[in-house]
Amino acid sequence: MDYLDVERITKSFDSFMAVNQASFKVPEGTIYGLLGPNGAGKTTTMRMIMNIIIPDSGKIIFFGESFNESHKNRIGYLPEERGLYSKMKLLPHLQFFGELHGLTASASKKIATEWLERFDLIEWSDKKVQDLSKGMQQKVQFIGIILHQPDLLIIDEPFSGLDPINTKFLKDILLEFKAQGKAIVLSTHLMDQAEKLCEGICLINKGEVIIAEDLASIKKKYGRNSVRLEYQGDAGFIHKIPGVKELDNYGNYMEIRLQEQADTDQILKAVANSRLKISKFEVAESSLNDIFIDLVGR
Amino acid sequence: MLKIFKIVKREFLTKVFTRGFIISTILGPVLMIAIILAPAYFITLGSDKPVRIGILDYTATFGEPLRTTFQDTLNTGERKFQFSDIDIRDYTMQTVNYLSLVETGEFKGIVVIPENVYESDSVLFMAKTVSDLELVQRLRNGISSIVRQQRLKLENLDPVKIGQLTRGISIYTIKVYEGTETARGFGEEYLTAMIFLVILYMTILIYGSSIMRSVIEEKSSRIIEILLSSCNSFQLMMGKLLGVGAVGLVQYVIWVTMGMGVFVIVTNTMPAIAESITFSTTALLFFVIFFIIGFFTFSTLYAAVGAMCSDMQDAQSVSIPVTLLIVLPFLISFMVIRDPASEISQILSLLPFFTPLIMFLRVLLIHPPGIEIFLSILINLLTIVGIIWITAKIYRVGILMYGKRATLPEILRWIKYR
Repeated sequence: MDYLDVERITKSFDSFMAVNQASFKVPEGTIYGLLGPNGAGKTTTMRMIMNIIIPDSGKIIFFGESFNESHKNRIGYLPEERGLYSKMKLLPHLQFFGELHGLTASASKKIATEWLERFDLIEWSDKKVQDLSKGMQQKVQFIGIILHQPDLLIIDEPFSGLDPINTKFLKDILLEFKAQGKAIVLSTHLMDQAEKLCEGICLINKGEVIIAEDLASIKKKYGRNSVRLEYQGDAGFIHKIPGVKELDNYGNYMEIRLQEQADTDQILKAVANSRLKISKFEVAESSLNDIFIDLVGR
Repeated sequence: MLKIFKIVKREFLTKVFTRGFIISTILGPVLMIAIILAPAYFITLGSDKPVRIGILDYTATFGEPLRTTFQDTLNTGERKFQFSDIDIRDYTMQTVNYLSLVETGEFKGIVVIPENVYESDSVLFMAKTVSDLELVQRLRNGISSIVRQQRLKLENLDPVKIGQLTRGISIYTIKVYEGTETARGFGEEYLTAMIFLVILYMTILIYGSSIMRSVIEEKSSRIIEILLSSCNSFQLMMGKLLGVGAVGLVQYVIWVTMGMGVFVIVTNTMPAIAESITFSTTALLFFVIFFIIGFFTFSTLYAAVGAMCSDMQDAQSVSIPVTLLIVLPFLISFMVIRDPASEISQILSLLPFFTPLIMFLRVLLIHPPGIEIFLSILINLLTIVGIIWITAKIYRVGILMYGKRATLPEILRWIKYR
């Protein structure tokens, strides 16, 4: 079942078209990525999904029904602009979030305590939010939106500002949620992250949905072969090798995009016969980043 | 509905259990009474020191009469007004010296009585500060009466006899209300009304602006959007208004209870003083009612201001019109207090924004007809519904606008948004 079904939503602010006819579906048990550069319309789309901004036209279906306020108790939303009441103590604050999502006071407190333990914040329960570090506050914000065990999570830039350890920690939890059958929509401008996490991808640019499909078919459709090369020496000759379309040279590392039907063996031979010192030669599908640049650049 | 209650609960609990609330609840009325009574206290405080006044008397007849006219004594038993005769020749020779005595404060001032005082009708008072109206008034009255008596003597009339014949009458005020007569001084009633009025005015202002601050805090801490994931902006706004309103109401209930307690204690121990207390339980009830009306009228407007602005500095300038809407009725109330029954007072008391202070004042002073009170409350409730409706629209868009202050055309557009 599709937990979220966005149908041709459009929003303009005065003369500025923020989102134009965006449609995509998020089935249960998947992680769905909303990708695009800054200002593409990701946040506006999420706000429309959350009924914070009312779309000019289009429809949003949750769990097979059109939106009503009670759906908010089944959704957890973490916006990009997020904060906490700095003067409140941690546990009461989380309890408030839980209650606001329809939990009873005692249930909310119990679940909040469990999550605080898991996030290693339990000894801070009695401290005020303002005494916490920024990273801790981000964890608290995340706990705040999962207390009510939502079926659908919508997270704007989940990993921004997190250190590598916490990024991994959060990623593991998201995967755990996916395994439980929850649907997760996340927005990011970090393509490689989306590539690793998401089943479905919606690419947005300047308010327009460029593509909304599952990752595998996107790659099949738009991905082309490329070669990744780590080397030392003068690589000036490479663009002359037959079959090479484009180079992205970093000095010790380059990505070679190949023409369709080009033979990677030819490339390997040419490189091996040269005076370059090769430490790595890898044939790869083009990354989501490449596809995105290709599609947007067209 | 349940979610509004959760927001109310949070607003209430985080505001009631603060040092600020406890202190203002206890000190509020004390401070208010102190502010009103302090000027009177300082006036009596000033009278603890003798006032030395130089007399430069060209007629050489005022020395004795002045001393008999000004017989006030200080707490110490000393005379308050101490007159020193100044030698005319001495003064002409060393004018500068005498003037410096005035400047150093040795003399509060020098009264110059010219030779032709009976014809010129004026004397001169030289002092470092001439703004001590009370002193100038006393001197004028005192010297006038001496001059008057002297003139009568010159015409061979008996001052005592004339005095008896021309004596004035006193006026006692009695308030007629619902067939009962209550002897009551204007001053007492005025003072009570002022105390209540100042408390009402201050609390509406303070609670209103605290709503504004709290909206801006939520905006700048960026918590609003997280909250909007579980409730809508209307629930958020109403929860805040009701929560803070409940805090104010609790404070009022505590004050009223404290007031009643004092009233009961005073009635039992000092019945004489209790007679001069001019408020009734109905007055206290209206005190609370008009606080609620004033609170919702103004704090909703302040919530709109908070939603339009991103920081306190902006908000302070944008909120000026709203603040004026509270200050204006307060200033006008000084006019209404003089004639609460006039037509203009009656009209003002029915106007939204004016009702809370003006109608309350009229209720305290003249007991307007019930239908008028009812009408004013009805008009204001409708106004509040209207303000809430418009503010909700501004609020919905405004709370997600960060960075810049909204312009008027933008706000008008927000109201039209779907």
